[in-house]
Amino acid sequence: MDKQHEHIVRSYEEELLLLNNKIAKMGGLAEQVLGQSIEALERRDPELAAATISEDEAIDALEREIEEQTVAMIARRQPMAYDLRQIMAALRIANDLERIGDLGKNIAKRAVAVVSEQQPKQLMLGLKHMGELALGQLKEVLDAFIERDADRALKVWYKDEEIDAMYNSLFRELLTYMMEDPRNIGLCTHLLFGAKNIERIGDHATNIAENVYYLVHGTAITDQRPKGDTTSSTPVALKRSAG
Amino acid sequence: MSLAIQTEVKEAPETPAEIAALEPKVSVRRLNFYYGAYRALADNNVELYKNKVTAFIGPSGCGKSTLLRILNRIYDLYPNQRAEGEVLLDGENILNPKQDVNLLRAKVGMVFQKPTPFPMTIYDNIAFGVRLYEQLPKSELDARVEDSLRRGALWDEVKDKLDASGLSLSGGQQQRLCIARTVAIRPEVILLDEPCSALDPISTAKIEELIDVLKQDYTIAIVTHNMQQAARTSDFTAFMYLGELVEFDETTKIFTNPRQQRTQDYITGRFG
Repeated sequence: MDKQHEHIVRSYEEELLLLNNKIAKMGGLAEQVLGQSIEALERRDPELAAATISEDEAIDALEREIEEQTVAMIARRQPMAYDLRQIMAALRIANDLERIGDLGKNIAKRAVAVVSEQQPKQLMLGLKHMGELALGQLKEVLDAFIERDADRALKVWYKDEEIDAMYNSLFRELLTYMMEDPRNIGLCTHLLFGAKNIERIGDHATNIAENVYYLVHGTAITDQRPKGDTTSSTPVALKRSAG
Repeated sequence: MSLAIQTEVKEAPETPAEIAALEPKVSVRRLNFYYGAYRALADNNVELYKNKVTAFIGPSGCGKSTLLRILNRIYDLYPNQRAEGEVLLDGENILNPKQDVNLLRAKVGMVFQKPTPFPMTIYDNIAFGVRLYEQLPKSELDARVEDSLRRGALWDEVKDKLDASGLSLSGGQQQRLCIARTVAIRPEVILLDEPCSALDPISTAKIEELIDVLKQDYTIAIVTHNMQQAARTSDFTAFMYLGELVEFDETTKIFTNPRQQRTQDYITGRFG
């Protein structure tokens, strides 16, 4: 369908614009929380971690605002068609962004926990890389939302596979480290949870992509996305030394 | 990793299988209608499916009421109005000049925007139409009146005052009386032309509930300016604009994801 015409009732148009802006703002904050949490973990910077943790509150507050606004709009405007989809998508996307904020906060908390630990560089590198990929996905899907670009959202949706693959390999790598030396277990467990959080963030980005697609086309994405995270079924082969 | 598959879903104007399986009660084919030289309807094609509610929406003057008026040939009462094309009721073209119009109107009942009770008792409002078509003994006529008023969801409110004037009822009750009157002659299709536009929300809710119940026995067409009412009450919705039938689809589809930009602009209140 072509570009949307403006509403006859101007205040309706303004409310939708405001809703859009709130999502954009919330998305920006979620990006910031995710970016900083990875940085805090990498640099083992407790101050940055603490700042990041408190920033999540703003995301939560925005989610509540968006929730209230969408409920009020449904009651007052009784939205139809594209408007209805915009409002539903906003509500769902806000929910995903709030979760992303929480997961980011969780990563930041781990940064505080691992401050005193010795970190092998390459382990951190994998996690950082994964974080950057997730951050890129988040940015891309938020742009797709602002631009109402379903094809772009679809690309994000497919690309989540890469995060999953990276998580799988990081999972194995961390297992290896833990098996090599039990003193690594503390650190590696934190990093493993961090990686899991990033993988979850990737999933939320794909949820947002699905909502952008629905918003634009009014239909769900019908293709099956390959499920990439196989760690839940990965056997842990512990070598037992004889004797 | 093909990106092509999803984007094609949008352009699918063919009738889905579950709709194609429905039985059409009324089929409008290439229908044109003229008020003198003015063409009010242009090549309309639409189906009213059996035991389904079909809503007609569109801006004032788009031809919704005109279309409804053709379905029981009310327009015959006026000079200089003529219809071309076909309107098939159970496969028979009702526009055929040989069509018995009285018989048609017994099969296709109509309720108007403003309640139009006859200036007679509540009982006679119902019995009047029945007497035109059938010779019933008193006891059967009584039973028919009660049954009709029950179907009109009005019985409990009027059973103790059947001798009171139909005009003494409230607007909402009068409209339900008109529906009961329509139902009394056992029609097959009921046409509702903005039946709730003059009613308060409670009366409106009662009529909507009634529509829901009545569709089990009848095929219903409703013209309404209230989008939410169309969304609530109908199974199918037709959007009309300037005498054209722009889009016809399942109601859920029309109100969540219409195919046509003009439909979208209208139902969301945008400048088109």
